[in-house]
Amino acid sequence: MHVQDLLKLIGIVIVLAGFALRLRTTLVVVVAALATGLVAGLPLFSHEGFFQHLPLLTKPGQTGVINTLGRAFADNRPVTLFIITLPAIGLAERYGLQEQAANLIRKIRAATVGRLQIVYQLFRVLHGVMGIRLNGHPAFVRPLIFPMSLGAAQASGSVPRAVASGSITTDNPLATAHGTNPVEKIKAANAAAENYGNFYGQNLSPVQAGILLVSGVMQGLGFKAGGWDLVKYTTPVVAASIILAVAQFLWLDRSLDKAVEVKQ
Amino acid sequence: MMASVFSLDAVYVLTGVVLLIFALMTFVDRGNPRRVGSGCFWLALGVIFALGSVMPHWLTGLLVLFLVTLDGLGQVSRGAQPTDQAAQAEHARRLGNRIFIPVLAIPIVTFAFALIFRWSGMDANRGALVGLGFGGLAAMFAGLILTRSGARALMNEGRRLNEAMGAVNILPQLLASLGVIFTAAGVGDLIAQGIQQIIPANNLFLLVLANCLGMALFTIVMGNSFAAFPVIATGVLVPLIIKPFGVNPAMAAIITLTAGSSGTLMTPMAANFNIVPAALLNMRDQHGVIKFQLPYALTIWSFHVVLLWLLIKVS
Repeated sequence: MHVQDLLKLIGIVIVLAGFALRLRTTLVVVVAALATGLVAGLPLFSHEGFFQHLPLLTKPGQTGVINTLGRAFADNRPVTLFIITLPAIGLAERYGLQEQAANLIRKIRAATVGRLQIVYQLFRVLHGVMGIRLNGHPAFVRPLIFPMSLGAAQASGSVPRAVASGSITTDNPLATAHGTNPVEKIKAANAAAENYGNFYGQNLSPVQAGILLVSGVMQGLGFKAGGWDLVKYTTPVVAASIILAVAQFLWLDRSLDKAVEVKQ
Repeated sequence: MMASVFSLDAVYVLTGVVLLIFALMTFVDRGNPRRVGSGCFWLALGVIFALGSVMPHWLTGLLVLFLVTLDGLGQVSRGAQPTDQAAQAEHARRLGNRIFIPVLAIPIVTFAFALIFRWSGMDANRGALVGLGFGGLAAMFAGLILTRSGARALMNEGRRLNEAMGAVNILPQLLASLGVIFTAAGVGDLIAQGIQQIIPANNLFLLVLANCLGMALFTIVMGNSFAAFPVIATGVLVPLIIKPFGVNPAMAAIITLTAGSSGTLMTPMAANFNIVPAALLNMRDQHGVIKFQLPYALTIWSFHVVLLWLLIKVS
């Protein structure tokens, strides 16, 4: 390996240092991208249009880092599309969405925070089986699963009733009565249930992006890996992902219950 | 005509328009201490969304630099918008379960579009994205009719949520772009080479361990198992495991992919799964989701190593 090659890792070093020093993440990421590109010998701009007259900034026949950055950023707009759902969700919240979701779940006696996460994760695995990939954090977690979880926690007494759906603004002093904050733990569990169900469940349908990717890459390397074969061999991992999650979420229920006992 | 209305580009333009409206409202928001900087940020993002498919890439690239400079200088902040909890409880009593209609419209329309795209022989995943856009639009209309509020209130609520998340919103897009540049610079090949140099070629368990570890580590760096898989498959899995040991390629490949998913659960680089949700839920600790997922991720990663090793052994 040449020194020139090792220098290409500068982007990783910048990102790690940026995260460690808690610098502004957006800026760190873009600096890392520019540095990696420049170290690899890429020019700032492509050799085209009026940039042809700026010899220091371009190299004939090479795509510029700024051009690559712009194209990649535009190509990846799908991950930010959720913004279009925010007005409707915000309006529904203003008209009591979270309050109503919590009311609904309080009526179900068997509902606990942990059990609710398990049900939600299975629901997301089912999406995978049906071949649907969507971002559940804005679509389900914020508007429905979080307030329902809070409702369940209030029914069992582990979160005070006064921390209504408004605790989404976390400034509520009641939410931090003792050391570890149950509301923060519940939020983390909500996001985790979404990720567990999405990541491992999505490989259960041969039309999903992950299966198509693996199939395509293996074909390119000269091996046949059919969609249904891949689905078959992912089932033990899906089973493990559900069993482990059940354990973690039931453990969460226990620790929330303990918090109640401490308070009393 | 129908094809261009129900296209991904139409949804990008729609999202761009929503962002432009947010920007205009922010410019005149006296409750926001950085209203000009914040307004410029959402305006530039809106322009990229609406025109990203037709603008020259260098211009998009410069606008991205503009976005991160604004955020880097601390010019992106939120306005003051108090929520009235008593009013919310009152509305909840009045509207009852009907308040779920707009919110449920989003996944239902998303799902419907995915199915319609599949049945017409098009890409279902693209259908889901187009559906998310039109689901958002349908939900807006449903919300307006149900609550009898005006368009201004609607957009103000959207802006409230958007500003609460702030510049973190664009992080997933930036990280994906970083991955593209890493690939262009050949960072992946370098990692695969490194692994090949360290591992003895005859010890199956160590090879499986290195394969799963490399996949997880590279996913942690890239924030995306899909970006890591081709590198690890080409550099490690196929030359060091599948070929010499005659392993079933489908079995080894899919287990390697989800070993990477375990890495995704541990990394802030997977911002759309770990950091944006923390912002969306207003968590105090930006890394709270990752901390919760860490024990789970380490356990299921170890399971991958043992499973792959055992399945090769018994076959």
